[in-house]
Amino acid sequence: MNIVVAMKQIPDLQQIRIRNRQPVFDDVPLTIGDIDKNALEAAVNLKEGTDANIIVLSAGNEDVEDTIKEALAAGADEAFLILDDDLEDAESSQIATILAAGLKKMDDVSLILFGEGSGDNYSGQVGSRVAELMDLPQVGYVSTIEVNGNVAKVTRSLEDVEEVIEVELPAVISVMAGINEPRIPSVTQILKAGKKPKEVLELDDIEIDLGAATIETNSNLAPESDRKKIVVKSVDELVEKLTAENLIGR
Amino acid sequence: MAGVLIYSDKLNLALELITAGKAINDEVTAVAINDEELAKGLANAGVKVLSVANEAVNVADTAAVASVIKELAGGVKTVLLASNRRGKELAGRLAQKLGAGCLTDVSSFTVNGDKIECQRNALGGATVATQVIVSDKGVIAIAPKSFAPAGEGSGSIELVSLDVSSKVKVLEVKAKSADAVDIEAAEVLVVAGQGVNSQDDLTDIEALAKKLGGEVACTKPVATDKKWLSEERVVGLSGKLCKPELAVLLGVSGQVQFTVGIRDAKTIVSVNTDENASMNQLSDYVLTADLHEVVKDLNSKL
Amino acid sequence: MDEKFDAIIVGGGLAGLASAYTLAQNGLEVLLLERGDYSGAKNVTGGRLYVSPVRDLFPDLWKKAPLERFIAHEEVAMLAGERSLTLRYSGNELANEPYQSYSILRAKFDRWFAKQAERKGAAIITKTKVDDLIIENGKVTGVLAAGDELKADVVIACDGAMSLISERMGIRSPGLPKDHAVGFKEIIELDPNVIEDRFGLADGEGAARLFMGEVTKGKFGGGFLYTNKESISLGMVVSIKDLMEDQDVTAPELMDNFKLRPEVAKLIRGGQTAEYSAHVIPEGGYKALSKLFADGLLVAGDAAGLALNIGVTVRGMEYALASGYYAAQAVIAAKEANDFTASKLSLYEKLLNDSFVIKDFKNFKEAPQVLDNPRFFNHYPEFVGNMMKDIYEIPAGSKDRLYPTMKKYMKFGELWAMLGDLRKVMKI
Ligand SMILES: Cc1cc2nc3c(=O)[nH]c(=O)nc-3n(C[C@H](O)[C@H](O)[C@H](O)COP(=O)(O)OP(=O)(O)OC[C@H]3O[C@@H](n4cnc5c(N)ncnc54)[C@H](O)[C@@H]3O)c2cc1C
Ligand SMILES: Cc1cc2nc3c(=O)[nH]c(=O)nc-3n(C[C@H](O)[C@H](O)[C@H](O)COP(=O)(O)OP(=O)(O)OC[C@H]3O[C@@H](n4cnc5c(N)ncnc54)[C@H](O)[C@@H]3O)c2cc1C
Ligand SMILES: Nc1ncnc2c1ncn2[C@@H]1O[C@H](COP(=O)(O)O)[C@@H](O)[C@H]1O
Repeated sequence: MNIVVAMKQIPDLQQIRIRNRQPVFDDVPLTIGDIDKNALEAAVNLKEGTDANIIVLSAGNEDVEDTIKEALAAGADEAFLILDDDLEDAESSQIATILAAGLKKMDDVSLILFGEGSGDNYSGQVGSRVAELMDLPQVGYVSTIEVNGNVAKVTRSLEDVEEVIEVELPAVISVMAGINEPRIPSVTQILKAGKKPKEVLELDDIEIDLGAATIETNSNLAPESDRKKIVVKSVDELVEKLTAENLIGR
Repeated sequence: MAGVLIYSDKLNLALELITAGKAINDEVTAVAINDEELAKGLANAGVKVLSVANEAVNVADTAAVASVIKELAGGVKTVLLASNRRGKELAGRLAQKLGAGCLTDVSSFTVNGDKIECQRNALGGATVATQVIVSDKGVIAIAPKSFAPAGEGSGSIELVSLDVSSKVKVLEVKAKSADAVDIEAAEVLVVAGQGVNSQDDLTDIEALAKKLGGEVACTKPVATDKKWLSEERVVGLSGKLCKPELAVLLGVSGQVQFTVGIRDAKTIVSVNTDENASMNQLSDYVLTADLHEVVKDLNSKL
Repeated sequence: MDEKFDAIIVGGGLAGLASAYTLAQNGLEVLLLERGDYSGAKNVTGGRLYVSPVRDLFPDLWKKAPLERFIAHEEVAMLAGERSLTLRYSGNELANEPYQSYSILRAKFDRWFAKQAERKGAAIITKTKVDDLIIENGKVTGVLAAGDELKADVVIACDGAMSLISERMGIRSPGLPKDHAVGFKEIIELDPNVIEDRFGLADGEGAARLFMGEVTKGKFGGGFLYTNKESISLGMVVSIKDLMEDQDVTAPELMDNFKLRPEVAKLIRGGQTAEYSAHVIPEGGYKALSKLFADGLLVAGDAAGLALNIGVTVRGMEYALASGYYAAQAVIAAKEANDFTASKLSLYEKLLNDSFVIKDFKNFKEAPQVLDNPRFFNHYPEFVGNMMKDIYEIPAGSKDRLYPTMKKYMKFGELWAMLGDLRKVMKI
């Protein structure tokens, strides 16, 4: 049984600087989205005590080959990568098409795990689109997963209710942020990660039609911020300032 | 051809979608699935409702719901969904079925000729992107509370039957502990971050919120990891986008996914032991101190 | 994992990377552990690297290295309370290839250097802190990191100024305030055209400016400014001891005042601070150097105390690079002989002694003592400032003749003290 985890390489958001309201990506290190790490951890937990094999699936630029080591160290058994430098800015529909093409090259896939949203785009589309492309059932915002034979029992956590759902496998499951504490790999695990199998395909190798872009981005700017940033030395001073602004003691 | 189809299984959100839809095109049609109450509520807001009655379609089955909406969306250019969890999950699948471009978490848009210029948070909330769907059809998921709910009108209900099957089975639906708080409506928010030592400290923080005439809100880990407060109170990208007059942030580091939810506050106070916390750069008043002391002090002074 | 490495390097700053690069290049199995998110992430430096002394140690490295600007213009300013005197130096040797020194940004340079070391075959693991050494029968045999025991023939401690590793082996005693300074630095982003206009720079040229006197309120230290491609590195170095003794002023306040000085403010106007950092600098000089080796252990870079504080500037980067390189050479020789005892590893000390590193340290042996004299950081800047004022000022009335003006400053006691200080400076 193969469990596939789709993971996206993203820039480390805390290190993106804003200059003239534009995000600056120079020298920002690359990493994997937090929620995708939750998805991997869920897979590793499912695997325990079974003979399941975890394949991490990712589409992106050439740097992914390096970035994905993090996932191999944290418990994935192998990586399946589709790389092309143009994929850096590819939109959700195109990424989904590529991931589905990759999935179709794999055998015996029972679960395909996604994060509820990627770290940078956080649009929550890719998993749903892949489910449609593969004609598979899906459940999103999942907080618990249990596999019993060819069905999975999962909990979907909505704003107001939790749905306990039984779904036939293979299925697409998107996990909710923060459902587990992703493990931090040890040095030996990181060293072993370098030796785990990686299937690396170029975009050309999978012969698919990416289709025309469906989204255009007109601008992407940081909102203007003109906070006062006044440093107050004491609670008294704070109370005084807030009172003067008529924010307290009204 | 240019009409708008809207769907959410939640009446309050569907009503907001009607308002958003009208801003795009007068011809707004709504969908209700196995929910007569919803159908009536929508009709009372003056739109035509396509009401699907088919027990085989469970709203929990995203694939089935997407199939239904695809069938009904034959003639329209734009489908509007709510950007709550259910709606976001549906958006991608429906868009793929329709061969459509899709934008989720859209907080506002301007209609410019036949282009709908949508604003949504990007890069975890660090930036706001303006994006346009350029494919023939588009699916847009609108963030809750971005539009006012539609007022009354007289619409109509048309019953539709469709043939759809399902691969998922709902075994149980459990209500989450009800927390009726509406932090988006509060004029004052006291936000508890992970700097708060223990759940017991929330008592003092609640007292402070009360004194300031506001509500207690929190960062995401305080609700999801620590489970000290309900998810209803989370401020940020995956929580609520709030615009209070005053926000007092206690032990909040200020990661983008949080700040996006508070940056429209009129006045922001940050209390943090770390003078270099990134939150301080985005605040009006900065107090470098232990939040527990500050809360006690404020409670005794106010 | 039962795998054993030839060498494990603790710390991926310049010393560690230089070691890893050199060892891997020579075919040794090397593991480098760095606690930061990546090499260079938190490494603080003023930002001027003298490439000349280390150029030949890494012949393939410099062509593509992400260096910022070559320093073609030097200035030293003595700041007094309300006035200042600046000396400017330009020379052919600065403006012609091979260039002596460059401004660099560690976040860029170290990350790139790490990649080069990886290409040579070094295993580099980041986000991993080394917690302890494994010591068996008095010999270092590996390290403990994140719960793992990792074994190697030699451990090279390159863990910076606060090196715990060398303290652990007892080859260095815990730091004394008097042997350390603290450095602050901001990276201020500016448009490259603005930088070139403001500093009068031609393409690729950079400027270095040093500031003494009022900057540190008389404390041992000074301020520096280096131009990068698209930013300015601005910072200062102050003696920790002096800071501790003066309760009236804190280091961040010194830095704020420094930025407000008109001489500085006009250079950074309109810039955006992109990064703020602070770091400890070992500055005890030759006399405070630690022992450099033990059984199975070598120490390089700041960890060994190999940084020289000459008052306003600090030099440490080229020493880190060179000591990392020589440590690697000693390990390569030890590996050939399959002998990793202290006596075999002592080759490292010999190589360092014969190199520019220890020669520099000996030449500057007196520097910490001589410069630990408030007259340099307080009195002289004030003195020359006042003298210059009297020379240049045109008062409302008639101006005094120049000779008596000068004579006023040439009191006997003053001259005597100055002579004394001067003699000591000559020893540096
Ligand atoms: C896709 C995605 C969506 C997300 N959505 C959200 C969201 O909607 N909302 C959200 O909040 N987060 C969200 N997050 C998580 C977010 O990235 C941060 O992890 C989170 O905001 C951090 O919360 P915090 O500031 O409370 O905790 P921390 O980052 O741990 O900060 C705690 C702060 O408390 C200070 N402190 C400690 N002790 C004291 C004391 N005694 N007194 C005063 N100060 C003290 C510390 O200096 C520190 O600055 C999201 C993450 C992802 C990946
Ligand atoms: C403000 C300032 C200005 C300076 N200006 C100049 C200048 O202009 N020119 C110049 O030549 N020098 C200058 N120096 C000195 C120079 O920066 C240092 O001498 C040089 O960086 C030393 O390099 P290093 O590799 O020995 O140490 P570092 O660069 O400090 O590297 C040590 C590394 O070890 C890592 N580490 C530490 N402990 C552990 C552990 N337990 N496990 C894993 N990793 C660990 C750290 O994260 C770090 O990356 C300046 C220093 C300062 C602070
Ligand atoms: N380029 C990619 N490669 C692999 N998985 C991806 C990629 N982009 C998105 N995903 C997956 O799809 C999920 C949702 O992404 P998004 O639709 O961008 O919010 C992520 O959490 C990942 O699991």
